[in-house]
Amino acid sequence: MVRFLIKRLAAMGLTLFFAALVVFGVLEVLPGDPAATMLGLSATPDTIAALRLELGLDAPPLARFWGWVVGFFSGNLGISYTYRVAVGGLIAERMAVTLPLALMALALAASLGIALGALAAAKANTRIDALVMGLAQLGLAIPNFWFGILFVLLFSITLGWFPSGGFPGWREGLFPAIQALVLPAFALALPQSAVLARITRSSMLETLSEDYIRTARAKGLTRGQTLRRHALRNALVPVLTMLGLQFSYLVAGTIIVENVFALPGLGRLLVQAIGGHDLILIKSLVLFFVAAAVITNALVDIAYGFADPRLRVART
Amino acid sequence: MRRALSHPSFMIGVVLSAAILAVALISLVWTPYDPGQMRIIMRLKPPGADFWLGTDQFGRDVVSMLMVGTRNALMVGLVAVGLGLTAGLVLGMLAARFQGSFLDEALMRSLDFVFAFPAVLTAILILTFMGPGLANAMIAIGIFNIPVFARQARGAALQVMAQDYVRAARLAGCGTFSILRRHVLPNIAGLMIVQASTQFALAILAEAGLSYLGIGTQPPNPSWGRMLNDAQTFLSRAPLLAIFPGAAIALSVLAFNLLGDGLRDLLDPRLKER
Repeated sequence: MVRFLIKRLAAMGLTLFFAALVVFGVLEVLPGDPAATMLGLSATPDTIAALRLELGLDAPPLARFWGWVVGFFSGNLGISYTYRVAVGGLIAERMAVTLPLALMALALAASLGIALGALAAAKANTRIDALVMGLAQLGLAIPNFWFGILFVLLFSITLGWFPSGGFPGWREGLFPAIQALVLPAFALALPQSAVLARITRSSMLETLSEDYIRTARAKGLTRGQTLRRHALRNALVPVLTMLGLQFSYLVAGTIIVENVFALPGLGRLLVQAIGGHDLILIKSLVLFFVAAAVITNALVDIAYGFADPRLRVART
Repeated sequence: MRRALSHPSFMIGVVLSAAILAVALISLVWTPYDPGQMRIIMRLKPPGADFWLGTDQFGRDVVSMLMVGTRNALMVGLVAVGLGLTAGLVLGMLAARFQGSFLDEALMRSLDFVFAFPAVLTAILILTFMGPGLANAMIAIGIFNIPVFARQARGAALQVMAQDYVRAARLAGCGTFSILRRHVLPNIAGLMIVQASTQFALAILAEAGLSYLGIGTQPPNPSWGRMLNDAQTFLSRAPLLAIFPGAAIALSVLAFNLLGDGLRDLLDPRLKER
C-alpha cells in the first residue's frame, strides 16, 4: 500500500510539474514579449521596458519559472497587472465562491443522477425507464450555460424567486449567499447528473444479472431489499469513480457558468484576466484549475487503492 | 437495415442530423437575409411575417444567423473531430503495434498528460496563446480530441492484433503497415465512427461554450454561443432571442448523440440487451 501511495503521489507530482512547465511555456515564453502582449498595440517602447522591469522579465526564463513554482507553494504569486493586488489573495478570495458552488453542484448531480439512474434500472424497459433515459439524453444535449439562461428567465425574471446574478458575499448572511448559488449550481449539475444517471442505470443492470442477486432473492429478500442492499451498493463503484472525475469537470464548468450569473468566482476571474491580457493572473489561475483536476484524480485513485487492493497494481 | 429502421432513437438521430446538415448546406447558397446586415430601426422585432424568428439587438435576421451558425458549428465539429480522429488513430495504432516499447509508453503518457487538463481549460489555454477565432477554436477542440481517439484506437487495435487471423497474416509475410491497414483498421473503424459521433456532439458543445465566452467564433460571423451571450443582455425585453440558439445547440447535440448511441447498438448487438 505504501508503495502504491508513493508511486501515485510521484506520478501526480510529475504531472503537475509538467503542467506548470507547459502553462508557463505557452503563456510566457512562446508568444514573444509578455509585456507587449499585456499592454496592447498602443504601447510605447518605454512603457514596455518599464513593465518588463516591474514583472522581472529580464531574468532568464528558467529562473522566472522556478520563482513562479516556488511562489505557487508559498502563496507569493506576484501582483495582478489589472487588479493591482496580490494574485494569491485574489485567488483565495474568489475561491470562497467557486468551491461552495462546485460542491453544491456535485451534491446535486450525485443525488439526482444516482436516484434517477437507480429508478430507471429498477423499472428497466418500462415507460418510467424510457422517460428517465429520455430526460438524460436531453440533459446531455443542453449546455450548462443555456440551463443557466433558462433558469434566469423562469425563476428570476418571471417568478422572481432567485436573483438573476451577482453574489452578496458570505458576510451578508448564509441565506442570501446560498440563494445566489442555487441556480448556478443546478445549471452546472444537470448535465452531469444526466451522465451519472446513465452510468448508474447500466452499472445496476449489470449487477442485477449477477448470481448473488439471485441468491439474495432466493433466500427470501423482497425485490426492494435486494435492490437497495445488494444491487445499488455494488453498482455504485463505477459511479463513484465517475463522480471523482466529475468534480474537476465541475470546477472547469464554473468558468462558463460563473459568467452566466456574474458570480465573482475563479472562473469569471479567469475570463476577465484573459480579456485584460493579465498574463500573471492567467498563468496562476490556469495552473490552479489544472492542479484541482490532477489532485482530485489522484485522490480518487488512492481512495480506490484503499477500498480495493486489486486496483493498487492495475492503476499504476 | 431492418434493424436500423426499427431502432427508434437511431432513426430520430438520423433524421435530425440529416435536417441539420441540410440547413447548413442551404445556408451556403441561400439565407432569408444577409446574416450580417444591421437595421437599427428594426431591432429586437418579435417573430413575424418579415422576420420569421425576429431580429436581434442590431436588427439582424435571427433565422439567417441561426442558419450560418449551424454551418459554423458543423464545420468546427468536422475539422475538430477529423483532426482528433486522424491523429488519434495513427498514434493509437502505432502505440498498439509497438506495445510495451518506449514509443508506446511515451505516447500514452503524453496523451494521459493532455487528458489530465480539463477540456475547456485546454481550449482556453490554446486560444489565449493563439488568439480567439473560429479556426483556432477548431484546432483547440481537435487537440483535446486526440487522446480520446488514441486511447480507444490502441485498446481496440490490441484486441484485433491478438486474433488468430492477424497472426496468420504475419506468418504469411505481411508487413506491419499492411497488417495495420488491411486487418486492424477495418476492424476498429466501426468503433471509431461511434466515438466520432459522440465527439462531434461534444465539439458542438465546446464551440458554443467558447463562443459564449467570446473566445470562439468572432463577430460578425454568427455563432450560437455568441448569440446566447448577446441575448442575455436583452433577456427581459426579448426572451425568445435566448431560446432559439440554445434550442439549436441542444437539438444538434441530441441528434449526434442519438446517432452515436444507435450506431453502437447496431454495430455491437451484444450491448443491445442492456
